Amino acid sequence: MRTGVIVVAVALGVACEAPVQQMPPARPAGVRVVDLIPRSLSGETWQDAEPFLALYASNPKLMAASAFTPNPGGSESATAPIFVSDDGGDSWTLRNTLPSQSMTADITHAVGGTAPVLYAGIMKVPGFPLNELKADDFLSATTMRLQASRSDIDQPFVRTSAVENADRVYVGLNDFEAPDGRSATVDVSLDGGATYASRRIETRGTVGQDGPSIRPAVAQDHTVYVAYFGWRSTTGSDVTSDVVVVRDDNGATGTTSFRDLLDPSDHLPGRLVGTHVTIPWSNAPTLGQERIGSTLSIAVDALHSDTVYLAWADRAGTGDIYTVHVRRSTDRGATWSGDLRTLTNATDASLAVSTNGTVGLLYQQVTGSGAASRWVTRLEQSRDGFATHRDVVLAAVPAATPPFQFLPYIGDYNCLFTRGNQFLGVFSANNTPDSTNFPQGVVYQRRVDFPTHRLLDGSGAPVDVSIDPFFFSVPVLP
Amino acid sequence: MHTRSAILFAVALSLPGSEGLAQMSRAALVKQSDIIFVGTVTQLGAVAVPEVPASDRTVVVRVDQVLEKPAAVALATGDSVTVQTVRAGSLKPSTQATFYTTGWIFGRGVAVREVGHEPGHSPVAVADQKEAVARARLEVNDAELKAHMEKAAMVVSGRVEQVRPAELAAARPRPKRISEHDPDWQEAIIRVEDGIKGAQAGEQVVVRFPGSRDVAWVGTPRFAVGQEGTFVLHKDSTTGLPLTTMGGQSVPAYTALHKLDVLPKQDATRVRALIRKP
Repeated sequence: MRTGVIVVAVALGVACEAPVQQMPPARPAGVRVVDLIPRSLSGETWQDAEPFLALYASNPKLMAASAFTPNPGGSESATAPIFVSDDGGDSWTLRNTLPSQSMTADITHAVGGTAPVLYAGIMKVPGFPLNELKADDFLSATTMRLQASRSDIDQPFVRTSAVENADRVYVGLNDFEAPDGRSATVDVSLDGGATYASRRIETRGTVGQDGPSIRPAVAQDHTVYVAYFGWRSTTGSDVTSDVVVVRDDNGATGTTSFRDLLDPSDHLPGRLVGTHVTIPWSNAPTLGQERIGSTLSIAVDALHSDTVYLAWADRAGTGDIYTVHVRRSTDRGATWSGDLRTLTNATDASLAVSTNGTVGLLYQQVTGSGAASRWVTRLEQSRDGFATHRDVVLAAVPAATPPFQFLPYIGDYNCLFTRGNQFLGVFSANNTPDSTNFPQGVVYQRRVDFPTHRLLDGSGAPVDVSIDPFFFSVPVLP
Repeated sequence: MHTRSAILFAVALSLPGSEGLAQMSRAALVKQSDIIFVGTVTQLGAVAVPEVPASDRTVVVRVDQVLEKPAAVALATGDSVTVQTVRAGSLKPSTQATFYTTGWIFGRGVAVREVGHEPGHSPVAVADQKEAVARARLEVNDAELKAHMEKAAMVVSGRVEQVRPAELAAARPRPKRISEHDPDWQEAIIRVEDGIKGAQAGEQVVVRFPGSRDVAWVGTPRFAVGQEGTFVLHKDSTTGLPLTTMGGQSVPAYTALHKLDVLPKQDATRVRALIRKP
């Protein structure tokens, strides 16, 4: 029987061949940062926010990525693009394979058990229905196949695992059609997306709905954790919320799933890790031109499912705008630590746990103020539950420029995975080709001129600075 | 159409490998294309960059002149482009043609899918071809705008006098959903200065639009007080509430959600001519 969690893999070497031109000064060994925009789109100036990544255990060369990147053909195009790499992330191409007009309104994706199968959950343009999609070969230019669809949902978040020859797909989403306003939902497919069943995971009363972030995480023994914000009341634009974790010990294969973790206070499914936290719901530029209100990430140690990490953001009330908290459970979610990390004015926290137990925390934080403010993107690693940690600054770019085109500015989320001895992820940031903005170095595929810090189009003419998605890999602490 | 182009186009329709064109006007080709260039076939069954799969339908074409492309796309004279042809064997080495295409794979180079091609242009004809494609694009744009206006309830030239939040919540059967994609509907009250279709000068009309800056609504027209323009207005079938109030009266609400719905004020003359055009 072949059993495996797809997103966590055996150690595999990743080639680090630099593909193209115009390199900045040398960087520390082992860290890569690559701008995803290909050379043939050197003239693009879009706000390529909210990046996501999918990668295979079985083939370290193959990866898919997405962002709010439009079809270069224009707003009336019948399809939207994804980025693909077949060389381990050194180079990327753009292919229009998503059945959405020009762009999606939300997208996440995850790989199938057999390369190059890919699953995606999108909010399709126009109308914004959920589309649950599958590609048998994500490298092909064939439009992804629709497997299920419905309206009135938000933030589909896809995770997968594989059991024997069947892929299991878990799509966390906020389903506004759920009864009694208990909207936190996971669409579960046990047959490679051929059929989906909606599993309601909220068991308590809500303000009429839960928060938009519903985040699954799957361990190799088929334990599935899901984190969500249980919205209890609102005051103005502030939401009073619980931070809830549910668990299913059998891959959510039963009809009453996600009931294996009870809270001692009310004996209902769903451990209350944080209670009565204040979520500042702001759909306007609030933190470095970014909106805030739905930052949430959960990661399980795939080989030791007792250990699970959780990150969320709220307003702590200490003069902060938005604060990220990181906590850990080592007993399958029954009890939780206090804050292991508390990061002021940060967002887009993403967690991953390596096979050697090292936890990675990717986040983006605003430092400074006004025109001097910066978005600093960091990857922190810890082997001791953040008693100590080592961090790498991947980018430190202007936060006040370019002006936002829409929201999210850099994303309501980004993405972090681990495979073998690498953390791999994507983030979005100001794309000025200035090596001081990328302390670990950076490789651009698109045309740039580092000495003058200019982006160039195909003819060599200057191009305006914009937001680009960046892939990175960082060696796991030994 | 210039005489030379007309002749060349007619010749193209009779050439082997361009049978598909017999069913398509140049305007139809232009309508389906976003990358159009004159180029010369250099290799058959080949690709210009390794990230594109070679097949018997792929050819490498040297770009002689770019006629149309999106601004983001890096494509210039002398570049080699991989073209996935409509049909294998439809092109021969050294054939020069105008290629009507859509983007396929963007990597180190551009790969495109052929919509159609017009073979047989000399260097002298390239300028004519550029003009012909530009003219066809105008025809396509005009036809799209005309069709769009025919479906509209109202076409007016006017000025935005007021913008206010839309009062939709009270009439809804269930609580408002809190989502980052919430459109945050607003209403613009427009004073009609020229009623081109379905309205009279001096009228006021209420147009709903999303105030949200969320990605789901990017590219959707927005309105500001003092804004002038030519507006193509549709009865509101989006918000679920077709009526609103103005001056204590219940009145129809309109929307203008497509990029063609908001045009510069000076387009009123063009718009009127298109509406009158049979």
